[in-house]
Amino acid sequence: MSIPAWIPDSFAAVMLLVAAVSAGQLGAARAWTPAGARDADIALSHVLMGIAMAGMLVASLTTLPGGAWTVVFAVMTAWFAWCLWRENRGHGVAALARGHHAPHLVHSGAMLYMFAAVAGPATGRGGSGMAGMAGGMQALRAPTLALVFALLLAGYTVRDLDRQACADGYFHVVGRRFTPAGPALATAGAGTVSGTPAAGGGAVATVARAAQAADPAAPAAPPAEPLAERLLLAPAVVKVCRVAMGVTMAFMLIIMI
Amino acid sequence: MSDIAVPGNRAGWRDRLGVAGSVSAGLDARRVLQLILAAIWLLDGVLQYQSFMYTKAFTQMIGATSSGNPVIVAHPINWNATLVQHHLVLLNTIFATIQLLLGLGIAYRPTVRLALAASIVWSLGVWWFGEGLGGVLSGAASPLNGAPGAVIIYALLAVLLWPSDRITASGAPAPFVAARAVGAGVARGLWVVLWGSLAYFALTPASRAPTALHDMVAGMVSGEPGWLAALDRHAAALAGHSGLTASIVLAAALAVIALGVFLPPPAGRATLILALVVAAVIWVIGEAFGTILTGGGTDPNSGPLLALLALAYWPLASATAPPARVLLTDQDTEGTPA
Repeated sequence: MSIPAWIPDSFAAVMLLVAAVSAGQLGAARAWTPAGARDADIALSHVLMGIAMAGMLVASLTTLPGGAWTVVFAVMTAWFAWCLWRENRGHGVAALARGHHAPHLVHSGAMLYMFAAVAGPATGRGGSGMAGMAGGMQALRAPTLALVFALLLAGYTVRDLDRQACADGYFHVVGRRFTPAGPALATAGAGTVSGTPAAGGGAVATVARAAQAADPAAPAAPPAEPLAERLLLAPAVVKVCRVAMGVTMAFMLIIMI
Repeated sequence: MSDIAVPGNRAGWRDRLGVAGSVSAGLDARRVLQLILAAIWLLDGVLQYQSFMYTKAFTQMIGATSSGNPVIVAHPINWNATLVQHHLVLLNTIFATIQLLLGLGIAYRPTVRLALAASIVWSLGVWWFGEGLGGVLSGAASPLNGAPGAVIIYALLAVLLWPSDRITASGAPAPFVAARAVGAGVARGLWVVLWGSLAYFALTPASRAPTALHDMVAGMVSGEPGWLAALDRHAAALAGHSGLTASIVLAAALAVIALGVFLPPPAGRATLILALVVAAVIWVIGEAFGTILTGGGTDPNSGPLLALLALAYWPLASATAPPARVLLTDQDTEGTPA
């Protein structure tokens, strides 16, 4: 007996939801504009990983051949490796492990490994390789690497879950830039204002409203974003997506050992 | 998305403590160890979803742990094995999901206490109904095969990493992380009981038989990747018929580790390093990474947990966090809606 079909089906549904949310974030942030393009690569990677993983979990959701996905994730891995190096060069290995792009590098590396290390002939539509876990999926070559990736993913997942969603810009939101609150804002209200992700969005509006409350001469707040956009572009949503992706990826790696 | 401090606001409370905006600063040594424990629980959860766990072999594995145990212990194990066999898909999925949620719950600050408490209950249940008390009463326990049961070490870690601080009469800071919740005396006692029992199990007849070590390590080879199988074969050949000698050496090392917690910090650190090395040897050679790489491991076994335990007893260089900061670490929550 293999894993009941509804288990990979459930994980696949979650991954499709993550892909849909990430695509929605790209749209809501207008990622095709210069202002909205910030961290669009991360949201795009979530879209692609969500679709690819859903196809690996459920054969009928297969979209591209395994070879094509291998190329996609090889490029993605190289891109995030470069981003991580650029972000942390000269700061040592520990800084690399803590770097903002490190989880994305691990995620894309794990995807690359899963597509490249399938140890058997293709079984899914279009030769996706491991499609359909419930129906007896393929094993992976070099299973030790699968365990290493699973451990890394488990580590980054619990770390992600431990972090506050909106504290320090750790969770990249498409088109948003983390800007530590300035001294002027710190005087607003009764105390201080902590760092906020902001770039012409709801956070700026909130901070500006607070400043205006303290000083009526302050400029009026820009119009608030629609609720749907605010929800979609909330760091907490990004956090949940990352945790879901990390758990699902670790599940897949372990199942395929 | 901003945290504006107002009286009574949780963020404001954080600000008054002087750590606003530095969430990562809340990651003290105990929280790091809690997160490692969470990651291991998470791994446990996904391991439980493996195909092997949905086969009769899993229920047979549970049933086999009753062997050699007193009837009063064995009967509930057999009852559990039968129950799982009849509702395998449902119960195994529940088991896996519970373990996954324990990992996520420990990692998520608002639920850390609930998850740790639940992990203690769950661990005790699994220790009896799923692991046959780790073979402690059956005479089959060996430090190299996971005695006294990996899952009981999860419970022990949950107690030692519990997010509260015991204030001593002298006001002296805890000498190591494990002492923060239960006090140094109790923590040292638990350490001695665990490592002392491992030393004892290393000398039981089943462990000290001439070919016991050889047979145990050689038995791990099947299904392992080539490099690990080769490593195990070499280790088994090295052990040969020297089971008694190896048992005595191992027991001596374990006894030194057990008593090391009473030594002054420099010597104590040396014994903790020895504990880390022994844990690594147990995990790689004795447990073959919990046989995870064969696709049939239900958990990583005791090696990583012993190492995590050793880290919880590492002497703290400086005083532990002051109470206010500890309070934040223990009760910090997501704080603001995103």
